[in-house]
Amino acid sequence: MKEADLVTEAHVRPVKARRDLGARASQAIGFLLVLVVLAWLGVNLVRAPDNFGRVLLIGVSQGALYALVALGYTLVYGILELINFAHGDVFMLGGMITATLVAQVFALGENPALGSLIAALLVSLAAAIVGCAVLNAAIERIAYKPLRSAPRLAPLITAIGVSFILENVAIIWKGTRPVSVPVSDFSAGNGRKIFSIGQVVYTSDRLFVILITVPVLIGLIWLVKFTRQGKAMRATAQDKDAAAMMGIDVDRTISVTFLVAGALAGAGGVIFAFYSTEISFGTGFTLGLFAFTAAVLGGIGNLPGAVLGALLIGLIQNFNEGLSWYAPGSKWTESLVFAILILILVFRPQGLLGERTPEGA
Amino acid sequence: MANEAVLQVEGIHTFYGTIEVLKGISLEVRHQEIVTLIGSNGAGKTTTLRSINGLNHPRHGSIRFAGKNITHEPPHDIVRMGISQSPEGRKLFPRMSVLENLEMGAFQRRDRSELKNDLDRVYSLFPRLSERKRQRAGTLSGGEQQMVAIGRALMAHPMLLLLDEPSMGLAPIFVERVFETIVEINQQGTTILLVEQNAMMALEVASRGYVLETGTVALADDAKALLRNEQVRKTYLGETD
Ligand SMILES: Nc1ncnc2c1ncn2[C@@H]1O[C@H](COP(=O)(O)OP(=O)(O)OP(=O)(O)O)[C@@H](O)[C@H]1O
Ligand SMILES: [Mg+2]
Repeated sequence: MKEADLVTEAHVRPVKARRDLGARASQAIGFLLVLVVLAWLGVNLVRAPDNFGRVLLIGVSQGALYALVALGYTLVYGILELINFAHGDVFMLGGMITATLVAQVFALGENPALGSLIAALLVSLAAAIVGCAVLNAAIERIAYKPLRSAPRLAPLITAIGVSFILENVAIIWKGTRPVSVPVSDFSAGNGRKIFSIGQVVYTSDRLFVILITVPVLIGLIWLVKFTRQGKAMRATAQDKDAAAMMGIDVDRTISVTFLVAGALAGAGGVIFAFYSTEISFGTGFTLGLFAFTAAVLGGIGNLPGAVLGALLIGLIQNFNEGLSWYAPGSKWTESLVFAILILILVFRPQGLLGERTPEGA
Repeated sequence: MANEAVLQVEGIHTFYGTIEVLKGISLEVRHQEIVTLIGSNGAGKTTTLRSINGLNHPRHGSIRFAGKNITHEPPHDIVRMGISQSPEGRKLFPRMSVLENLEMGAFQRRDRSELKNDLDRVYSLFPRLSERKRQRAGTLSGGEQQMVAIGRALMAHPMLLLLDEPSMGLAPIFVERVFETIVEINQQGTTILLVEQNAMMALEVASRGYVLETGTVALADDAKALLRNEQVRKTYLGETD
């Protein structure tokens, strides 16, 4: 017995030491990286404070949009441990619904009057939120539910399949060329001045994004934290069998989760359509990957983490594209975002706010 | 009333995929009884409970509870009808506090006003839980987790309480305490179906018992008779002659 202990001790020690060294080295590298980025931001701030402020505001708006989509990934992952690759495409269809309503029902031209713009926005929100919520819940029922007890890989591949189907639906509906939405007070770079601090102007396009995302986020927090439905969602996410034993209808709870995720994606689609004025069948893929990266960065399954991750990705993207002193520029954005994804998966797989619990949650 | 069957399980066959795990189990639990289900590892005790609470519906046979056929009811409806369970391995919600876990036990209840009383009852059965109500369930010791699991099942205010190995992994002193509590809960009016590895203690508190062997009922008798049964003594009470 004693001898066996000694043998394992001798065996374990050098391995452990090596691992400590590795961990310390990677920590040091991470720390250095953060330091370099902060220094770079600092120099940019000092050299061109106005530009820095402007880019910061754009980054926050874009991050808020990513947050809506990232939350959908994280909600669904939290409850089913499924990466719903079709989520970005549900978001894209929300944008397509908006484009259709704005062009065909409201027939808005360039720079429409504020009244008709707001009417079109509200109707689009209602239609896209309901439409995407129902679509997302239907996808779960048809494509994922029958695979609930299948190996993990099966629903994952199905999700990729659903993603292709939705993109093809968009192609049949709208064609392969980007669909445009008329430029308005809500479009990036075309907003009216709301107020300004020094040379930094706060414009209506940014305000529009925040005015939609903030109430939606507050509503989500309220739902998850304080309602009976939210309790059921949290319990189901932690242990499905135990949740059923508490009297929770697990299937219904999963459906509601997909409804909520779909609604968030729908709201995101509306914002995107008005804000960027151009949307195509492939939009959901790229933006979905950014949002997914944001969810992983914050800690997948963690709701505040998804918002934090999304804001960071929005800021990183815009600092990269908009700062004047040694910014890599927009052609590097995707590489940068995926480099971040890889770095997190290697150095902190549980994400910024995620925790490594013994249950593997 | 006293001899009325609350739960009647008749010839159930339950499968995992194509593997038949229960091969025709019949048992009965009467009003205000403690009935125990014993048997070696893999005999099908947990599967029997999962058949009753709706998590694994039997393919053949029937389960009646309080006069209703519940064989194919979904688990959440079965909870509402009055069956709750403290499952094998506790299955707490690890990221919720002790209090939140207990509240989850009362999820399907409409009579919110009664909740305070039931919470007090759980705290008086397990004073330790009241000291730790803000602590995350995942960070509790094994014994404390077991208390939460039992307390959570009680919060449903069940007519029938299913307990799956409540003494598993506990120190002897805690095992004593858990069995005392089971008797106490029963005396407060709850009918109990108790699955146990600790056959001796289970048979001491139960009025009747069933011995399961590879998916069938090998023996069914009064608990006292089973305690005297030669075969039971050899196999489950670890006696050598
Ligand atoms: N999910 C499952 N898939 C396949 N087989 C299973 C599954 N769960 C249980 N079994 C098998 O069913 C049989 C009965 O299992 P069960 O858990 O009911 O036994 P048990 O009497 O509760 O045993 P223990 O005393 O070890 O808890 C075992 O042979 C087990 O391997
Ligand atoms: Mg068992």
